[in-house]
Amino acid sequence: MSAEVMKYTLAQVEALELAPGTDHANLEGWVPELANEAELFDALEKAFDYRGDVTITLKNGERIEAFIFNRRTGATLADSYVQYFMPSAPDKRKVSYAEIARLEFSGKDRAAGKHWEDWVKNYNEKKAAGETNIALAPEALE
Amino acid sequence: MWTVSSYVLKQKLTGTKRFPLVLMLEPLFRCSLACAGCGKVQYPPHILKKQLTPEECFAAVDECGAPMVSIPGGEPLLHPQIVEIVNGLIARKKYIYLCTNALELKRRLPEFTPSKYLTFSVHLDGQREHHDFSVCREGGYDIAVEGIKEAVKRGFRVTTNATFFDGTDPNSVRAFFDEVMGMGVEGIILSPGYSYDKAPDQNHFMGRARVRRLFRAILSNRKPTWKFNMSPLFLEFLMGDRTYECVPWGMPTFNIFGWQKPCYLLQDGYVDSYKELLETTEWENYGVASGNPQCANCMVSCGYETPAIIEGFGSWKGFLGMVRGTFNKYPDAGALKLLDEIAPHAPASLVQIEEPAHSLEETHV
Repeated sequence: MSAEVMKYTLAQVEALELAPGTDHANLEGWVPELANEAELFDALEKAFDYRGDVTITLKNGERIEAFIFNRRTGATLADSYVQYFMPSAPDKRKVSYAEIARLEFSGKDRAAGKHWEDWVKNYNEKKAAGETNIALAPEALE
Repeated sequence: MWTVSSYVLKQKLTGTKRFPLVLMLEPLFRCSLACAGCGKVQYPPHILKKQLTPEECFAAVDECGAPMVSIPGGEPLLHPQIVEIVNGLIARKKYIYLCTNALELKRRLPEFTPSKYLTFSVHLDGQREHHDFSVCREGGYDIAVEGIKEAVKRGFRVTTNATFFDGTDPNSVRAFFDEVMGMGVEGIILSPGYSYDKAPDQNHFMGRARVRRLFRAILSNRKPTWKFNMSPLFLEFLMGDRTYECVPWGMPTFNIFGWQKPCYLLQDGYVDSYKELLETTEWENYGVASGNPQCANCMVSCGYETPAIIEGFGSWKGFLGMVRGTFNKYPDAGALKLLDEIAPHAPASLVQIEEPAHSLEETHV
């Protein structure tokens, strides 16, 4: 993120009436090409920002399905790594960029597809149908 | 107040450049609500099932040394060891704000012991219909209010905390202040919504100009019964009477991923220790002055209340400003006009609740 900071002038910021929202890129199912180092860095930055699990295939063939929650980048692939949690293990783990052969945004994007407007529409429809205790429920954990 | 003032003075006297005032301790991301404006809880189930152990919480608190600990989340009352965590922090003489949606509060209250160190900070985003719509749960307000009343009855310290988005009706907010003060809460905490890029609703985050107008309308011409559990100077900042630069290191965040860079709202990476957080974060990349677009609309307390508190306790001028702000009712004829001007411009999504609101009330009579 830091490397791509766009600069607003203070005057522009102070005069903002509405904050521009974020358009979510649809990354679910994406398999980046990783044709060169720059593409790998870029894909792992996106994976770090992604609110779903990804599947990492290592150069030794091992497959890791995990949620990437951190990345630290150095000058080379070897001194850059991602940190992740796997569904099956309690501890934080990490893997070097240099070991990664393939990446797939395999898990559901938990930040996608929910919109305020959908809630309003849903609420009004249910209300019109006479329902009570209308609510958006958190997703099930299983 | 004495604890915070002496802490700030000590930091100043020892020449400490960066120091924490409030540790934002997120013991889990699991929540029992699915609020449209929240970008905190959108994770795969295996992440939502994870939680900090009491030992991890205590280690973070001990390392960081902040005099106050805010426990947001997720919903902290879903943590099976939350009582142990709270009791451990009380034993450390930390002032705790346990932030809860209060859906479980009434049921869990008997497990806690009232203490001057423990405050339940109950999420209420406005009057019944506004809160229920904001948290996307009909009936949520009534449950929360039941919890508040029970907590007050049992002798707990209670505040409410509200987040306001574009479309907020300032007249309703002022009526809401009357309502919550009538419940016996100690004070009100409020904040403009931050534009989380992971939040389901991306269309109702106010920019700074609109925030200042809304809060000027809300917070001018105050009623004597209203009490705010926030720095008076920070409230003046929200009203547009003061300017501050973001101080993200003032309220550091620790959660299951580690110490979050740079602040409670942004996730630019994690480190393993508070020391590393202080030393490796490029602080100049954040805050409005940096030009960072992710900070452009932020006027949230985790960045901007720290400088207000430091000013208030760090100089006679600031202290006098704080005293004046505590007793000032901020009479302002222009703000009274704003009350009438802002309300009719509420966006359609919130206007739509006007009709269902009556039904909502009927369902809970």
